[in-house]
Amino acid sequence: MSTLLGLEGVSKNYGPNTVLKDVSFQIGKGEVVGLLGDNGAGKSTLVKIMSGVVSMSSGRYVWDGEEVNRVSRPETERRGVETIFQDSALVPTMSITRNIFAGREITNRFGFLKLRAMDAITTEILDSVVAIEGIRSAKQLVSSLSGGQAQAVAIARAVHFKRSLLILDEPTSALAVRATEALLNYLVQLKSEGVSSVLVTHNLHHAYKVCDRHIVMNHGRKILDTTREDTSVEELTAAVVEGAEGVKRFRQGKPLA
Amino acid sequence: MSVKEPPVVLEEPAPERRRLADSQPATTVDRLKDNLYYLRGRGALEISGVYLAIVIGFVVTSLVNPAGFAFLNSNNLSGVLSQNIPVLAILAIGAGVLMIAGEFDLSIGATIGLCGVVFIRTANSAGWPVAFAATVAVGIAVAVINGLIVVSTKIPSFIATLGMSFFWTGVSIYVNGNTPATFFPGVRTDTMVNLMAGNYGYFRSQLVWLVVVGIAAWFLLHRHRAGNKVFAVGGNAAAAAAVSIKPKAVRLQAFAFLGVMVGIASSLYVARTSGMQPGTTESYTLLAIAAAVVGGCSLTGGRGSVTGMVVGGALILTIENGLVLGNAPGFYVQLFLGVAIVIAAVFNKFMEGKAT
Ligand SMILES: Nc1ncnc2c1ncn2[C@@H]1O[C@H](COP(=O)(O)OP(=O)(O)OP(=O)(O)O)[C@@H](O)[C@H]1O
Ligand SMILES: [Mg+2]
Repeated sequence: MSTLLGLEGVSKNYGPNTVLKDVSFQIGKGEVVGLLGDNGAGKSTLVKIMSGVVSMSSGRYVWDGEEVNRVSRPETERRGVETIFQDSALVPTMSITRNIFAGREITNRFGFLKLRAMDAITTEILDSVVAIEGIRSAKQLVSSLSGGQAQAVAIARAVHFKRSLLILDEPTSALAVRATEALLNYLVQLKSEGVSSVLVTHNLHHAYKVCDRHIVMNHGRKILDTTREDTSVEELTAAVVEGAEGVKRFRQGKPLA
Repeated sequence: MSVKEPPVVLEEPAPERRRLADSQPATTVDRLKDNLYYLRGRGALEISGVYLAIVIGFVVTSLVNPAGFAFLNSNNLSGVLSQNIPVLAILAIGAGVLMIAGEFDLSIGATIGLCGVVFIRTANSAGWPVAFAATVAVGIAVAVINGLIVVSTKIPSFIATLGMSFFWTGVSIYVNGNTPATFFPGVRTDTMVNLMAGNYGYFRSQLVWLVVVGIAAWFLLHRHRAGNKVFAVGGNAAAAAAVSIKPKAVRLQAFAFLGVMVGIASSLYVARTSGMQPGTTESYTLLAIAAAVVGGCSLTGGRGSVTGMVVGGALILTIENGLVLGNAPGFYVQLFLGVAIVIAAVFNKFMEGKAT
């Protein structure tokens, strides 16, 4: 499998706080990668760096074999990267359709909006990929949606615009079982379209079911990077809960402390 | 990936869900109802209803007692309402769009002073068409300078433009001196008066300007991608940045748009008054912002509509007109006007929670 995105030696400081230390990993084309770790491990920070909304303090961002020098959101957008951020990143005072197409509206050549076309696409994605209950219309304001419904809108936007890499930061945290199932199945289906995805989740069972590879973060460092064949839910649990020590103990065959 | 992946099943399949596509309106009537439903709580619809009720009340009173309450008198309609409302409504559109983007400009009144001086002095030397272009250009330049200060220093626009307000009044006095600027004889040509302040019986040409500017602004704000970005930045700047919208650039554009509106409104203003004394137009700042708030613009950005801004301006001036016609003493006019603005703003705040 050829590499789509490689991060090499990435570190990130916020003032005196180092939140990422020398992190390197690769995401293959059409691969589903699980990004796991305890609260505050640095997962969302990595997600933001991969999406180009936060800059790294040091390290290299290598896309399809070529280093990208100034990673920015317009730059990653051009490469087809779409992200579902942990905080949804929606505009509460705008309608669902206008949120999904904000900044990337379907317009005629004078820039005037084609609202009907956008409403139709919105309805279509909300019905197919995210099987969410209770949204009445694409014209509803996002502020009138429930947490899960808003999350579904963020998912729908990312799904519509992704071309090469879909990054999902705890996308199912507010979703009910059926919607979660639909989304996880969708990630599996994406592989056949050659689209890679990165799934951040605290549900290791979900991660284990759909991800080809797992990366576990602990206090800003990568402590485990393994294919599904070489690991188990138990090992992932040990790594997330106990860090590097847990992995070591697990590999030596000792039970979880 | 050659192996066929088994589907992920977390529990027994649930019964078929209701699809969004099935609940879409099918007929034109249903679509209209649907659109109307989603207009609720945005301010424009509600305040238009209030305005309509007030106008009906005034019309009825005027029909019953034409001598005591001369609302429908052509002098009142053309000389007061269609002369004053367009200037304030156009300013409210500028102030309102900037508020949707999340910023204020408290130097609107001062800028009118400067723009008015520029219009008169340029018209005196180069004729009114050049003066109009120069006035709009100065309006844009002033607003963009204000905007640059705000977006580059991150000082709240409230404070930055309050300071700039004194500065721009100072500039207009520097340019003009302390005596009012007036047109030289013959500069105010018939064509200019017909176009910018012409009396057509029941209305004046300013009203045509308002209709044209209003429709253009409506399409730009509500049906163009430029307007969509303004709403996105004002509603959640971080979310807008995450989809590659540049909040600073959008805010600057909103300032520039206000500049165009101030330029047009100032031109209409001096075309009618024939003179401009810097320092006398300050009250327009808060009137324009009040009109936008009455019309449903949120003070925190992200909400508002062109219809609401125009109706907000019309509502304020119509109430004032009614008070004057009803012979309320001068200070009562201020008092009732103030109360009316606060009530309308509270009403809009209340409706805000009803938006779906
Ligand atoms: N803007 C910021 N300024 C300072 N510190 C930050 C900032 N953003 C994140 N951090 C810190 O960086 C660390 C990693 O945060 P991050 O959001 O990446 O964690 P996470 O792995 O996504 O956790 P969670 O599972 O809770 O979402 C945390 O300790 C957090 O406090
Ligand atoms: Mg996180």
